[in-house]
Amino acid sequence: MRINAKDLASGLLLVALAVIGLWLNTEHTLGSARRMGPGYMPMLVFWLELGLGAIVLAISLRGGSDPLEKWTKLDFVTLAIAIGVVLVAYPFLAAMPALSANWYALGISLLIGFAVAAVSPGWRKLALVLAGMTVFGVLLEQGGLFLAITAMVVVAALAEPKHRPLGVLGCVVFLLALCWWVFIYELDIRVSVWPTF
Amino acid sequence: MELLFANLAHGFSVALSIDNVLFALLGALIGTAIGVLPGIGPVATISLLLPITFGQPATTAMIMLAGIYYGAQYGGSTTAILLNLPGEVSSVVTTLEGYKMARNGRAGAALAISALGSFFAGSIATILVAASGPLLTSIALSFGPADYFSLMLLGLVISSVLAQGSVIKSIGMVVLGVALGLVGTDVQTGQQRFTFGIPELSDGLDFAAMAMGVFGIAEIILNLERPEVRSVLSTKVGSLFLTKEEWKRATPSVLRGTVLGSALGILPGGGASLASFGSYMMERKMSRGKADFGNGAIEGVAGPEAANNAAAQTSFIPLLTLGIPSNAVMALMVGALIIQGIQPGPRMVESQPDLFWGLICSMWIGNLMLLVINLPLIGMWVKLLQVPYKYMYPAILTFCAIGVYSINNSVFGVYQTVFFAILGYIFAKIKMEPAPLLVGFVLGPMMEEHLRRAMLLSRGDPMVFVERPISGVLLAICALALGLMLLPGLRKKKEEAMAG
Repeated sequence: MRINAKDLASGLLLVALAVIGLWLNTEHTLGSARRMGPGYMPMLVFWLELGLGAIVLAISLRGGSDPLEKWTKLDFVTLAIAIGVVLVAYPFLAAMPALSANWYALGISLLIGFAVAAVSPGWRKLALVLAGMTVFGVLLEQGGLFLAITAMVVVAALAEPKHRPLGVLGCVVFLLALCWWVFIYELDIRVSVWPTF
Repeated sequence: MELLFANLAHGFSVALSIDNVLFALLGALIGTAIGVLPGIGPVATISLLLPITFGQPATTAMIMLAGIYYGAQYGGSTTAILLNLPGEVSSVVTTLEGYKMARNGRAGAALAISALGSFFAGSIATILVAASGPLLTSIALSFGPADYFSLMLLGLVISSVLAQGSVIKSIGMVVLGVALGLVGTDVQTGQQRFTFGIPELSDGLDFAAMAMGVFGIAEIILNLERPEVRSVLSTKVGSLFLTKEEWKRATPSVLRGTVLGSALGILPGGGASLASFGSYMMERKMSRGKADFGNGAIEGVAGPEAANNAAAQTSFIPLLTLGIPSNAVMALMVGALIIQGIQPGPRMVESQPDLFWGLICSMWIGNLMLLVINLPLIGMWVKLLQVPYKYMYPAILTFCAIGVYSINNSVFGVYQTVFFAILGYIFAKIKMEPAPLLVGFVLGPMMEEHLRRAMLLSRGDPMVFVERPISGVLLAICALALGLMLLPGLRKKKEEAMAG
């Protein structure tokens, strides 16, 4: 018996999401088939998903081997710590009044999580690219567009070891000019360019 | 017939306005560029540019986005022929014969026939869209809610049956997409569903954030993880003119490719890549030069290139006439229309004649422009490949971030994109095709509406879906499509076709 690990993971993902969905759906009234309540369609959808997940699981057991990429011990440890840190940091930060607005608590706790994950080479590219995007979210409202873009490009550039400081600088200057022209001059999106205090 | 010409004349008057011509050109140029570049496809690009289209009139926005889609089909073939590097999925088969032709010193001929064949196919497909639009629309107006529900179900079933990879996993992705579409305010009772008390979620998950995260950002991470393949142009383009013999061999292939591509494009779940695979299989079996296949047969370039362009065009038919997206790109188009305040559906031909006819005519104009910008400028497009990926991905990331922020002027959109990027990364690692997810997400809320209305009308009797003739037939086709996939022989054929 050769297990198809990719299918097994897919099946587990579908089943897990369906179970969570069904559980969350218990707070919605079902109604009847004639007068469907807000919970009726979710119920149908999540049961269907549960069934499909189960079929995928069943098929995976005899699907021939298609293994997942090997995770190192460091990958496991950093991922577990990263998820744990985000789950602990978020409620803690969200309770602080200074960080309650603007999703700062979410952004900062995600950043801490990505920083932990980036320790392991297996997650580094994923973590740094997403950390770049998150830094942009954290800095945009107070720091302005230019600071946010600069920070995002610098952090994301760390994901590619081939980057040299001068190349990153060129990248930043080019993107600042382009974004100013497209988004501020042409489209006039409502965002400040420079930091506000 | 006269009405058709009057409508087309009206369409050309819309499409030829300076703004619309410029944006069709812009779309075609962007499309060609991303077609040439591997690692960024039309889905990611269109979702990236979605926020930019907010300020434009709906017609102009659609003209530009459409230009990107069919422009990408042209651009993809250039690198496939010259560098054995498919810029798009739909040009994978072009590498098979096209690169061999380039090796034989006939790169110019391969490029010329793929551009001319694409133009011819695009023109025919444009006429087809124009002619079938009003016809299908008049049929669609007699549809009841039950029929609509079944039609959308058929769209979902076929798009997952024809998707790459395992059928059952694709259906799982469609259902997951529908489930994600449930998040937000329930339209009929106003109750919040699955929003976790987050006010930003009361309008549902952000469509652009989802498309950008799953397709754009996840793709960047996966590209960075793969070692970069640098390619240099070693083949000469040579003469662009075809010999008499080549004309003779290529013409029937272009015709066959056009017909097959047009047909496969209309099919829900069809689209450019399916059409080019299909056409290649057909040419290998049917064409006069089948013995040459594998050594640079011009039929293997002409057919698939015509087919993918025809399909890119006709896949607009279900969208414009029924409001049903047939693939991920069309799902983005629905998103663009809804953002503009236009509900896609059969009434669009009547209520938005500028949009409908203007878009159709702009497709033809866009094809003409592509012919002009592609053949003489090939050298320039190939140069684009010399921009290293390390300079490209920060730009993509920046455009994603600003674009998704500007939709609601809220950083919550940025964090949603991060979430969907993680999800997209997981999907890629466990081989789950993300395109059906997008189609399910767009169709889900509409299906719930129609299901509720149909069940209310039938007083809760589910038999209405089988008893109404239109709905019954559609459901039978659904069952047939699913049943056929259970046959092992057919499933194997599909896998072969998908693997090229």
